[in-house]
Amino acid sequence: MADLLTHLLVPYIFCTVASWRVDWLDQRWVVVGMGGAAIPDLMKIKIVLEERTVESILGFPFSYDPLSTLGGVLLLAGIIAVAFERRHWRPVFGLVTFGGLTSLLLDGMRVYADGRASAWLYPFTSWRPPTPSLYVSSDPTVLVVALLAAGTVAVLDRRVRAHS
Amino acid sequence: MRVWVRVSIVLVLCLTLGGLLVHAAVTEEQWSPYPDAADLSTGYESYAGQQLVVFGTVTETSDSEMEINVESDGAAITLRVTGIKTAVEPGGVVQVYGTLEPNQTIAAERVEVVNSSRWAEFYKYGASAVGALGFLLLFFRYWRIDRETWTLEARDG
Repeated sequence: MADLLTHLLVPYIFCTVASWRVDWLDQRWVVVGMGGAAIPDLMKIKIVLEERTVESILGFPFSYDPLSTLGGVLLLAGIIAVAFERRHWRPVFGLVTFGGLTSLLLDGMRVYADGRASAWLYPFTSWRPPTPSLYVSSDPTVLVVALLAAGTVAVLDRRVRAHS
Repeated sequence: MRVWVRVSIVLVLCLTLGGLLVHAAVTEEQWSPYPDAADLSTGYESYAGQQLVVFGTVTETSDSEMEINVESDGAAITLRVTGIKTAVEPGGVVQVYGTLEPNQTIAAERVEVVNSSRWAEFYKYGASAVGALGFLLLFFRYWRIDRETWTLEARDG
């Protein structure tokens, strides 16, 4: 998967541009959308707590992979939404899900040697969508493009806010 | 909303997520079609002749071959990859798509370099750490924990 910084910048770009037209979508909500983009990266927990360690504690098979799928994003978006006040649940759930989806789509465009992305639509289907194989996860070009786009949007956003 | 209602909702969602994490492991073969290191370690010959994708760390390279270490679930297997056209330093990580042959060998059809060296991995984790720290600072600039209701509330109300 792309690095976490790139994941966070993508929904920042989309949500900030959307905020120019949507009145309630101010910066605090943009940040919530960015948070959703971190959900698929949670599977990196395996670096500190390996799956086999969890399996040996639980006594049955266990995999972190669903955290980086549509099902994992929807459930974690629900858990995150409930951490907010009741009146915020709907926008939080929507924005966090959107952020998570941008990460899944971005990861679905990276290089897979067999030309098929992981089954990120799990558990709804086990189909592995074709990937355009645009980048590998350690390619700094991806981050540079994201930083340039986010920087441009940040400058434009400041101007838009100054005029409104 | 009462705290116990919120806790109940979170518990139900966490249990469902937990179920998903177990279900994915149990049904792995349906949505992850290739054998992993554990499968290859225990039943290599049964997969010979099949096409597969493996992720591995390069341990040795030569002009047209390399040796990679494939790990999963605590199991590890060393595979020789033939027919490569891409130079990778030892320590780099590659994806290999090809046909599994006898004697722990893959005839590669496509090799993709995931991390060209150990430094590429450091870069990835470094950028991720910067992202995580920056996000937390930004988030708590706009949101705070309300200690009366134990919910997240906007700082400006």
